[in-house]
Amino acid sequence: MRLRGVHFGLAALAAAVALVAWLEPKPALKDFDPARHADFKDTWDRRVHLAYWEKWGSFEADACEAMIDAFNRSQDGIFVHYLQTSQVDRKAMLAAIGRDPPDIAGLWSNNVVPFATGGALEPLDGLMRESGLTRDYYIENYLKVGEVNGRVYALPSAVMTLALFYNKEHFRQKAPQLRQAGLDPDRAPATIEELDRYAEVLNEFEPDGTPRIMGFLPTEPGWFNHVWGYFFGGQLVDANGRITADSPGNIRAYTWLKRYAEKYGREKLLRFQSGFGTFDSPFNAFIEGKVSMEMQGVWFPMFIRRHRPQLEFGVAPFPCAEGVPGPRSLMECDVLAIPRGCKHPREAWTFVLWVQREGMAILGRLQGKNLAIHRPPPWFHQGHPNLELAVFEQLAEAQHSFIYPQMLVGQEYRDEMIRTFEHIWNWPVPEEPLAGLSGAERQARIDALCRAEVERTLRAVRENIQQKLDDKTARARLQPQEAP
Amino acid sequence: MAGMRRQTAIGYAFIAPWLVALAVFIGYPFLAGFYFSFCDFPPLRTPVFIGLDNYHELATDALFQRSMGVTLLYAAVAIPIGVALAITLAMLLAARIRGQAFYRVVFYIPHLVPTVVVAILWLWIFNPKYGLLNLILAAGVNAADGWTARFFNLEAAASGGDFASARVCLLVAVPLAAVAAMRLARTALARRPHLRRLLAATTAALLVLAAGTVLNAVLHRVAPVDMQKLHSPGWLSDGSPFPSAVSFAPSWALWALIVMSLWGVGQMAIIYLAKLQDVPADLYEAADIDGATWWQKSLHITLPMISPVILFNVVMAIIGTFQVFTEPYIMTGGGPEDKTRFVAMFVYDQAFMYQRVGYASAVAWVLFLVIVVLTVLAFSLFQKRVYYAGR
Repeated sequence: MRLRGVHFGLAALAAAVALVAWLEPKPALKDFDPARHADFKDTWDRRVHLAYWEKWGSFEADACEAMIDAFNRSQDGIFVHYLQTSQVDRKAMLAAIGRDPPDIAGLWSNNVVPFATGGALEPLDGLMRESGLTRDYYIENYLKVGEVNGRVYALPSAVMTLALFYNKEHFRQKAPQLRQAGLDPDRAPATIEELDRYAEVLNEFEPDGTPRIMGFLPTEPGWFNHVWGYFFGGQLVDANGRITADSPGNIRAYTWLKRYAEKYGREKLLRFQSGFGTFDSPFNAFIEGKVSMEMQGVWFPMFIRRHRPQLEFGVAPFPCAEGVPGPRSLMECDVLAIPRGCKHPREAWTFVLWVQREGMAILGRLQGKNLAIHRPPPWFHQGHPNLELAVFEQLAEAQHSFIYPQMLVGQEYRDEMIRTFEHIWNWPVPEEPLAGLSGAERQARIDALCRAEVERTLRAVRENIQQKLDDKTARARLQPQEAP
Repeated sequence: MAGMRRQTAIGYAFIAPWLVALAVFIGYPFLAGFYFSFCDFPPLRTPVFIGLDNYHELATDALFQRSMGVTLLYAAVAIPIGVALAITLAMLLAARIRGQAFYRVVFYIPHLVPTVVVAILWLWIFNPKYGLLNLILAAGVNAADGWTARFFNLEAAASGGDFASARVCLLVAVPLAAVAAMRLARTALARRPHLRRLLAATTAALLVLAAGTVLNAVLHRVAPVDMQKLHSPGWLSDGSPFPSAVSFAPSWALWALIVMSLWGVGQMAIIYLAKLQDVPADLYEAADIDGATWWQKSLHITLPMISPVILFNVVMAIIGTFQVFTEPYIMTGGGPEDKTRFVAMFVYDQAFMYQRVGYASAVAWVLFLVIVVLTVLAFSLFQKRVYYAGR
């Protein structure tokens, strides 16, 4: 009797929970929040509500929200909801698999190939044609980032262009020494060889040989270690899409990098670097003045002025090795894509189109970046917070600037090149072949040993990645062509 | 009979939610993963059956082999150290001292801190320049080197020259004199136990000091690079092995993760402690009557009595090792040079970075088999050494 009472009680409780869960209204995108959406009260119900997943935080998120706000105010048929999403690529992928993707996804450039080849993105070519959005509107490389097999699957939002940042205060302090070395303290180095000579003059060491200031340190910030070869005339794939990890330019680049490790000592550099703060802090190595020159992106001036506004710095195209035509820069961009199976693809395209025509300029202006298009609106340059913008615009339009190849094994290749960098940097030069050698003879022997190791490692990378590419290409052919 | 059947039905009804969840969230992925391991399966496409291709690739994948090597090395070093430390800690916590409950709580607290927080905290502790660990290490090593330099020329030791000075004799003579004095005074101090203990402790300290000094000098001679590095290790960014003479030894970065893993040893210690409370006091009393020392009691009573728990903890630690992910993912990203790329990270990378769910499933299944083999091995190795009081 008593047990039956317990059973009845538990069943009643379960029923009550189920009832409450059933009756409880589920949160929806359309829910009106009087505090945030007061200005849109009159049009709220007749608008189509779009979910836009984007990765940015901090002031970059504020910029994106400002852009979306401008869109929402520009018309009364669509309302875009900015949903800040960490690891947006993973979540968007899971959402696509679950067939409940957002209307617009803000992806990274390296996501385009896996998403597009997986049938998770709407192709945008037809929509572009319908809307009169032509290729020549864009700077070619930025458009290529969103292309797979000749079709456009994503369009640029915010861009990345790289340049050389140099500390003018350091240059001024070492002006006599620079002049003595035959270098001009009032300009940035024009070639890699010159960069090395500038760096040597700018270096300062503690009594035990540990650096106090490094003129240039290839491992700072260490984000672009997979593309050094391009500045030495190398490339990662050839015109036929074959892997060329061990192209002469790449070998030259990694041998150059190794020279830094050997010349200044890996252990001492390690100790020096351990004192660097995080990127977005006053203790960033460049901002703090521990490194005089480094390769950084178009976003960097905003960070410098945030943490050390009085720092005098200059920006110039990152130099290429002698004999390699320049200027050149790695070009990438964050992209907007419309996931296949989203609820409102037409309205999503309306938003994406607006971003391409108007929103991108708002975003670029507020994030301090250049644009992916040839002709920004006239107001874009007036009072732009990035005073060095012209250099980045020049690099974006430069003939020799390049993008990271969009390919099936792009991520594996990138990781393998970074791994190669680490291996070469840390590879201990054997002592036996150097026995009895000194001076220039010893240095030449070290160079030869390092070069041989660089060649061997890059050859292995080429074979490994080519194999992976061939395998993935063959398996992709086995896949049914329709979307999941 | 009908009542019995009804009772059974009610029982099943109560565990049904758990059974359903088990089938849906564990059973299905387990079996689906097995099928996917024979497929090419980019997550956004349909799985395509490719037979044993994934397993063939696995057999020759250098990165997988490196990840497996790192994981096994970590297990081989971290588990014995962790178990030894946890047992020692448990025995200390079992001692009847003032504030016993406080100490137990203090050592258990680290286990309650979320892994991500622990990883970020240790990132600071391991900072080579400003980190707490190197600060303490440098002070200790400098003091030890300063002391050793009174008896040995350490620079000559590193360069391979003649490094012993005349003062080395003191390192031998003084402790020997203390030992002799203790022996001589034994009868004289028979009625003064406090003085006798003081003399014994002083003699022991002198012996340890002398041995430590000689050991430090010898280490400077045989491993000068390691001893130099010990002043300020690069920890998470240093991929070179320590000790450097042993090429397969854990890298400094892996040592950092091993040291960090000891942070959570309190949880294991609490399990040992629970078992220690269970050891019958009359065994110790009998040993006391027989004149057994603390060490003999530990070796012949304590350890055998808690051996089932040791086996349990070792097996759990083996399984846990193959699940190490968060700490290296946050602290090193698998670097430097894959020296901290654990096999769980390898699985994650294959599935989510390279979109190879089929291959990742094959790795997961191989891992499952490795864990089963290691667990069976642990059971068979320790079977005869484990004492179950109930049997």
